[in-house]
Amino acid sequence: MLSMAFAHGDKGHKNIGTEAQKYVDQNKVYHKEGLSMTRKMHPNWMKHKRDMTLRQGVRTEEHSFKGCVNCHATKKDANSYHPINTNEQFCSECHKETGVTMDCFSCHRSTPGKSAYK
Amino acid sequence: MNRRDFIKNTAATTASVVTVANGVTLTTYASANDKPVTNEKRWGMLIDTNKLTEADIDGMVVACKEEHGWGNEPNSNEAQKGNWIRKVKVQDKATGRISALPLMCQHCEEPPCVDVCPTNASMKREDGIVLVDRHRCIGCRYCMMACPYDARSFVHETLTDQKEDMPRGKGCVESCTMCVHRVDKGEKPACLTSISSDAIVFGDLYDPSSEINKKLKEVQSRQIRADLNLNTGVRYSGF
Amino acid sequence: MSQVRYLQIDGRSTGYLALIAGLGVLIVAALLSVYYMEHNGHWVTGMSNRIVWGTPHVFAIFLIVAASGALNVASISSVFQKKLYKPLSRLSGLTALALLAGGLMILVLDLGRPDRLIVAMTEYNFRSIFAWNIILYNGFFAIVAVYLWMMFERRMNKFSSNAGIAAFAWRLILTTGTGSIFGFLVARQAYDAVIMAPMFIIMSFSFGLAMFLLILMASYKWTERDLGDVVVDRLRKLLGVFVSAVLYFVIVYHLGNLYLAENSGVESFMLMNGGIYTQLFWIGQIIIGSFAPLFLIYHPSTKNNRSMLGLASVLVIVGGMVQLYVLIIGGQAYPIEMFPGMTVLEGYGQIASYTPSLPELLLGVGGFGVALIAIAFLVKFLPFLPESLADKVADPHTKA
Repeated sequence: MLSMAFAHGDKGHKNIGTEAQKYVDQNKVYHKEGLSMTRKMHPNWMKHKRDMTLRQGVRTEEHSFKGCVNCHATKKDANSYHPINTNEQFCSECHKETGVTMDCFSCHRSTPGKSAYK
Repeated sequence: MNRRDFIKNTAATTASVVTVANGVTLTTYASANDKPVTNEKRWGMLIDTNKLTEADIDGMVVACKEEHGWGNEPNSNEAQKGNWIRKVKVQDKATGRISALPLMCQHCEEPPCVDVCPTNASMKREDGIVLVDRHRCIGCRYCMMACPYDARSFVHETLTDQKEDMPRGKGCVESCTMCVHRVDKGEKPACLTSISSDAIVFGDLYDPSSEINKKLKEVQSRQIRADLNLNTGVRYSGF
Repeated sequence: MSQVRYLQIDGRSTGYLALIAGLGVLIVAALLSVYYMEHNGHWVTGMSNRIVWGTPHVFAIFLIVAASGALNVASISSVFQKKLYKPLSRLSGLTALALLAGGLMILVLDLGRPDRLIVAMTEYNFRSIFAWNIILYNGFFAIVAVYLWMMFERRMNKFSSNAGIAAFAWRLILTTGTGSIFGFLVARQAYDAVIMAPMFIIMSFSFGLAMFLLILMASYKWTERDLGDVVVDRLRKLLGVFVSAVLYFVIVYHLGNLYLAENSGVESFMLMNGGIYTQLFWIGQIIIGSFAPLFLIYHPSTKNNRSMLGLASVLVIVGGMVQLYVLIIGGQAYPIEMFPGMTVLEGYGQIASYTPSLPELLLGVGGFGVALIAIAFLVKFLPFLPESLADKVADPHTKA
């Protein structure tokens, strides 16, 4: 996969998401593999984890796609979020520049659902 | 699933029995969600149509729609809209007796849909739940041709605002998942939860202490289209 | 014996360019339809959750079945050693490949997610007859390509017989596989029949030869090359045999279904009270598709008339498409018998309705366009067609 060779990510994200920002502000690290590994390997990890969840029933937070969306989506106002795949948001910041299409959100919900509003 | 994993999983889990409000006992495992499911359980349902009113069944359909978000696709016509569960009314030709039943994916043990899928998108999980892996589905609809219960639907248009627990999108096939996202958390399928009687029993078919196992041994029940030898996970009694 | 000389066609006349342009328009229309269907979703088509395979599949399966049959002419020369058919082998192989390409194009472009074609090629379920068909179709391309090469390459000519036998065997398996796509579906009364596999093979003989005949006669008429009666007569008689054979299989299939009480429902539907499907069956498939061509082929007043033979071929093709329409769409329209001994009052059990939509039709016709344009191009660039198929050239022993 070409995207593996070019680990686009020397520029930081402008918009890593409301919850993710809270993590960073508290100096906590969620992705223990490190940022550059995560950027490079996330397509492969996501493909593996989606099979683990769907085909094998493993449903930890690490395996959860809605977990990703819940953390990395940015709030528009108190009760709604920007869809995560729109232009200035988390995914598109890199995906638009690298020109890699994301197919996820034709099926997956692009804003956090009720689980984010607990 | 190899033997080593099976033994590790069985040894590693602890069981706690939880009694749910209307007397159904479910066995839940602590931290079961981080291990792949195994075939030591098989999920099934027993539906007693004598105890179900038509309003109950209509309620089941509505509950499923709300849980998963299907059925209101704006551009699709009635035959194209999603239809994961339906109410069917039948009349016996000889006796004239009328029954109403909910019909959904029967979660067969030998699913024809799994046999015919060219990409293995239509699959049976180890614990018996039949699913469509929509990451792999190419939308050929052969499984829809093959299903003896016409249980599957095809998404005919672009969807938005999907439920967070049920991703679904244009061009893929879908069907009743036995609320796998709820079952994995130890809950029951949404259609069951919508009715207040004990007309439907859900549980582990292999567990001799489960209510469904005991009831299946007591009452007469049947599979729809038993002649096909599919060994369905959904059984009916009462018609 | 006189050597048959193969020659490319000129391909510079206005007629030829008009043909290419016309076929090109059909293809562009098909591609636009595909974009429309894929972008909006299948709600814009007539297909639904009850009729999941529609007009595109009728066209696609016709082309795929005809493709396998079009290779027959080459097989008769290579496998059964009938020298008269040898000069036709190259065109036969080309027609087979072109028709298959057209049919597969339709199937792939109608998928709900055609962007996942790579997935289809890499994640295989070997229990699925559909997956087997993908392997068989690709293998067919390879084998026939090799077979053609051996016919073209003089030094390989001596091996062409072996390649021909391999191609013949492969296409029998392939067509059996195509028939089994339906025959293995236990769920539906119209399909659950082992006879589907051999019936598809016989249908392939008939449809393939009809397509081949039309392409052959058109190629020779429009390039003003000689096509003698000896060749045409042989093919005419062969077509008659194949059309009769298809009729036989259709009769056996329906008789078999009628005999089984459990299938009487779908039989009454197809043969008597299925509305449009019954009309299509009797008028389209039996009269237009079987009896009329047989009359034209065998009756003394029409049998020596080449235009009548062309008409017969067209009727066979129309009848074949109707047959597939009744089978594929009628077979889905009739509900699955889930509750034997019970009447379904509501919730399921209606005869599903289906109206072909324009995008589906354009896609199907585009498949024909792709097949025919491939043939039209390739006979110009490579020597597929003998310069002359006059009687003296085709059969030196002819009395004419």
